[in-house]
Amino acid sequence: MSDSLESPRAGSGHADGEPLPPPHGGHDSHADPLLALANVEVLYAEVILALKGVSLSVPRAGCVALLGANGAGKSTTLKAISGIIDAEDGRVSAGGIIFDGRSIRGHDTAGVVRAGLVHVMEGRRVLPHMTVAQNLIIGGHMFPSTVAMRRALDAVYQAIPRLSELRTRTAGYLSGGEQQLLVIGRAIMAEPKLMLIDEPSLGLAPRMVEEVFAVLHRLREQGLALLIVEQNTRVALALADYGYVMEGGRIVLEGQADELRANEDVREFYLGLDREGGRKSFRDIKHYRRRKRWLG
Amino acid sequence: MMIEFVNYALNGALLGLLYALVAMGFVVIYRASKVFNMAVGEMLVLGAFLVWWAVAASAMHPAVGIAAALAISVLVGLAIERLLFRRLIGESVFSMIMVTIGLLILMRGLVLLIWGPQERPFPAIISLTPIIIGDMIVPRPLAAGGLIAVVCAAGLHWFFNRSRTGLAMSAVAEDHQIALAMGISVRRSIAFAWALGGVLSVITSMVYLSGKSLTFLSSEIGFAALPVALLAGLESIAGLLLAGLIVGIVQGLTAAYIDPLIGGNAASVVPYLFMLVVLVVRPTGMFGWKRIERV
Ligand SMILES: Nc1ncnc2c1ncn2[C@@H]1O[C@H](COP(=O)(O)OP(=O)(O)OP(=O)(O)O)[C@@H](O)[C@H]1O
Ligand SMILES: [Mg+2]
Repeated sequence: MSDSLESPRAGSGHADGEPLPPPHGGHDSHADPLLALANVEVLYAEVILALKGVSLSVPRAGCVALLGANGAGKSTTLKAISGIIDAEDGRVSAGGIIFDGRSIRGHDTAGVVRAGLVHVMEGRRVLPHMTVAQNLIIGGHMFPSTVAMRRALDAVYQAIPRLSELRTRTAGYLSGGEQQLLVIGRAIMAEPKLMLIDEPSLGLAPRMVEEVFAVLHRLREQGLALLIVEQNTRVALALADYGYVMEGGRIVLEGQADELRANEDVREFYLGLDREGGRKSFRDIKHYRRRKRWLG
Repeated sequence: MMIEFVNYALNGALLGLLYALVAMGFVVIYRASKVFNMAVGEMLVLGAFLVWWAVAASAMHPAVGIAAALAISVLVGLAIERLLFRRLIGESVFSMIMVTIGLLILMRGLVLLIWGPQERPFPAIISLTPIIIGDMIVPRPLAAGGLIAVVCAAGLHWFFNRSRTGLAMSAVAEDHQIALAMGISVRRSIAFAWALGGVLSVITSMVYLSGKSLTFLSSEIGFAALPVALLAGLESIAGLLLAGLIVGIVQGLTAAYIDPLIGGNAASVVPYLFMLVVLVVRPTGMFGWKRIERV
């Protein structure tokens, strides 16, 4: 793979629009990544091969984005890491998942959360009948003492002041953006080292997307590592340092966030257009519309 | 007569609190696992036979006998989770409810197999001398039952709404997948629910059956308590008390004043009628979690 190395003969003439070759070691995580996937395969119902050898890594600080069209396998990747794939009749059938120096492949989610990895699922999954405070307290169910839990609760209210105002409200009646903030806060209650977050911008108004991402920025600043799945590539790449693009259960492109931002293929991916330029499904059209609002 | 009326109402209220105590068997298991346990009556009969066996048949000291019955019922609860529900995590809640119907049949069969169909005098664990306040006469087991119901409800309400362990279990009742994603052990929560259900069934059986006779048919109290559970809504433990009081008082007064007029047994129908009316108006019961729908 010598051609993927930065060749001195290429000089400064980096061809624009060229698909970026996977820059080996270009990712600053090679030293000691917090999370590393090596050739991970996932089988659903013992027949559907949803991931076909995914390798990626997340450094100990900063944010990595996982992009791709519908059905590419982004959510499946996150579920395989956190172990909730188990409850969906799926399993990791090959490959390795190393978190913080230890294999977590096949571990149950409780163990993974305890190890410091928490998964915020797609779709703003609050506990609808409980108050904001109760949701957060449940997120801190692993604390050995109430004192430690209270301290974490205060930290969450500090990090996301909006939640503090809402603490006695029933979670099911919050606005979409508030619910997204709540599930992020609830995940923080587990005091994770790494947060996997699946489509936090989905279905939110632009102003709310800004607020949610501002919170993610702040958490990142405070040292939380993030692996974020997004359809809204623009906001995701503004937050991320590095990105991977998936298609058909494989990583097809990776690179520094600013390189990806400039890449034409990425635009195509996140428009949900297939190679011929046709749209795959109604959902893709919706994504397209939503995206149009961003880019103006 | 005023005093008669008060007497009927008071006895009805206490009977209602007994229903509430039985109905806690439904709610506790629901609040920690989202499963509606159809076998509540059978669990109660099993608890009762354990107490009978320990205290009357084996002639243990009552305190020791009750402790033994409690311990065994916890083990039975844990076994139920281990043998039946552990395999079903991730399956639909509906299939879990069907399993509780199977459990009902199985437990009834086991009770018949072990202890047979004959009537047994249940030991008077709670003294039978009635409490007399002025002109009012209150059966002591019912009075004790009312007190126990209130104490249990307060304790369980605190547990499920305030304590972290209880809240984590409530999360399981809300949504198994969310609970799993947060690292809550759904398995442990369900096991705890059935163990707690076992404990409650022993306590309830002593209130209900003290000094009465016990057969496998005593499980009917489970169905008598069903209207209270559904009226309250399956999530609200405090609501059970109020629903129990309403059902009990209405039933008591119907038995006293309406049944003699029509020469029939309207009292046993009234709770179900009441339940149907409330459920038509508010399907989640009076205090249950309202289904939240917003877009
Ligand atoms: N529980 C399941 N059983 C069987 N197949 C599944 C299951 N979940 C997902 N799949 C399949 O796996 C593939 C990847 O799905 P996944 O949800 O990971 O995609 P995604 O990239 O998150 O898409 P989206 O952007 O729409 O959320 C899809 O083809 C999907 O149909
Ligand atoms: Mg997805």
